[in-house]
Amino acid sequence: MSDPIFEIEHLSLAYPGRRGPPMAPILKDVSFTVERGGALTLVGPSGSGKSSLLRCLNRLEEPTAGTVRFEGRDIQALDPRRLRRGAALVMQTPVVFEGTVRDNLRIRPADVDGDLSEARLGQALADVGLEGELLDRDAATLSGGEKQRVTIARALLGDPRALLLDEPTSALDPPNAALVVETVSRLRETRGLSIVAVTHQPELVRRLGGMLLYLVKGEMQAYERVGDLDVRLQAFLAGERAAGVADAS
Amino acid sequence: MSAGVVDLTLWQLALALLLVAAVAIVSIRQVLGLERDLLLGSIRTIVQLYGVGLILAAVFAAARWYWVVLILVVMTGVATHAAVSRLPKPIPGAYRIAAVSLFVSTGVTLAYVIGVVVQVGPWYEPQYIIPIAGMILGSSMTSAALAGDRLQGELRVRAAEVETRLALGFSGREAVQPLVRSALRAAMIPVVNGMMTVGLVQLPGMMTGQILAGSSPLLAIRYQIVVVFMQAAATALASLFFVRLIAGRYLTPAHQLRRYLL
Ligand SMILES: Nc1ncnc2c1ncn2[C@@H]1O[C@H](COP(=O)(O)OP(=O)(O)OP(=O)(O)O)[C@@H](O)[C@H]1O
Ligand SMILES: [Mg+2]
Repeated sequence: MSDPIFEIEHLSLAYPGRRGPPMAPILKDVSFTVERGGALTLVGPSGSGKSSLLRCLNRLEEPTAGTVRFEGRDIQALDPRRLRRGAALVMQTPVVFEGTVRDNLRIRPADVDGDLSEARLGQALADVGLEGELLDRDAATLSGGEKQRVTIARALLGDPRALLLDEPTSALDPPNAALVVETVSRLRETRGLSIVAVTHQPELVRRLGGMLLYLVKGEMQAYERVGDLDVRLQAFLAGERAAGVADAS
Repeated sequence: MSAGVVDLTLWQLALALLLVAAVAIVSIRQVLGLERDLLLGSIRTIVQLYGVGLILAAVFAAARWYWVVLILVVMTGVATHAAVSRLPKPIPGAYRIAAVSLFVSTGVTLAYVIGVVVQVGPWYEPQYIIPIAGMILGSSMTSAALAGDRLQGELRVRAAEVETRLALGFSGREAVQPLVRSALRAAMIPVVNGMMTVGLVQLPGMMTGQILAGSSPLLAIRYQIVVVFMQAAATALASLFFVRLIAGRYLTPAHQLRRYLL
């Protein structure tokens, strides 16, 4: 029995040019489904359209063709604000707003309510491996990895049904990366949170499980279950890991 | 007008030209390379002001409301063009946005000053409405340009912040509000600061003119106070309309940021 949270059919995207015709296509005929409580990992070379695809899912970007359904409804028929509260996007480059970490965690539209007690804020920080004392810190003074985790905590505090993560662990050391993955996976199991994640880290792919979509130049090269990846994908992930090791040294 | 005014002969104007010659000498000796522009600027100063003077003399003599309205329309057109051309990035619809902002801010302020404060009769008395409209338009134009410049700069630098707010479920208007606020502040701060020192550092141009033309300083300052306040109002209105409408061009009805316009 299937209960899809996202159904993407024949999605194509071309960014509009400043004037004249739209520029070259970024995504071409992409189709996939994410089950409620399921996970999908997007992998592919830099510039293949992974971030663009996530931005189509919460309608920050308008696809040139195809449909995106969220919880069974075409997102064109949804209020984008409601869609984005239900499907929280954590961007590739974390943005923190002026103010303290507490201000950053409490920020939300006026008509949205929810538990923002100190205890919950502290728990949200702990879930991403940050100390509660950080609440009073000026957010601008955080390190890159700390900012990244604050943006993940901020997204989770909105109680989304789906989490769209764009390289959520790119600035984290292995223990903190593992902790973030642990938190996300736990929410997936306890609350049925659905995950769509872009990552270059094979560990994250394995831990999240679910489906894997391999994107090259905006086209789907493979779409399969993480358990039985074909040779090509394993080679790609291994290559990514080798590149990651090379970067780190 | 007043008996106390010294008439300026063409011969005396020629003497004033010696001041420009002094500037030219500085430019040549210090190798500033400004002589050409200086010459062009001097010629334009003379030609433009004479042109305007002749037109105004004709309109003053005729004192017909339609001539006055025509002049106001032309002035608004020129101010619109100037405000738009000072936008760092062209955007579609900028002319309409500038025209609407300047028309509304100038119209409202001018109507209040002419009709309620000074109570000029008839309203189209050129001696009052044209210089007052000119000052209001000037403030509107400057502040709109300043606010638009600042807003576009903020949008470019803070696009990711705007999209982060959108991704958190804020409306487009809410997402750009902090940027709108900082653009409005940039446009209004010079005016507010100007109010702090007005008259202390230099006499405002209009007051200087009135005193030179023989008005009593006490009457001149009353007019100047009106002018300062009306310019503040025009600044606030013009920058508010301009920035709001420009910000709107960057957003779609689906609360998306049009990044291709950045
Ligand atoms: N606003 C834009 N206008 C034009 N082209 C864009 C825009 N945003 C992205 N692109 C282009 O679209 C392509 C896909 O970009 P995207 O950010 O989706 O790639 P990605 O797979 O996330 O890459 P990375 O792994 O480096 O983050 C790139 O070639 C990029 O240059
Ligand atoms: Mg990306």
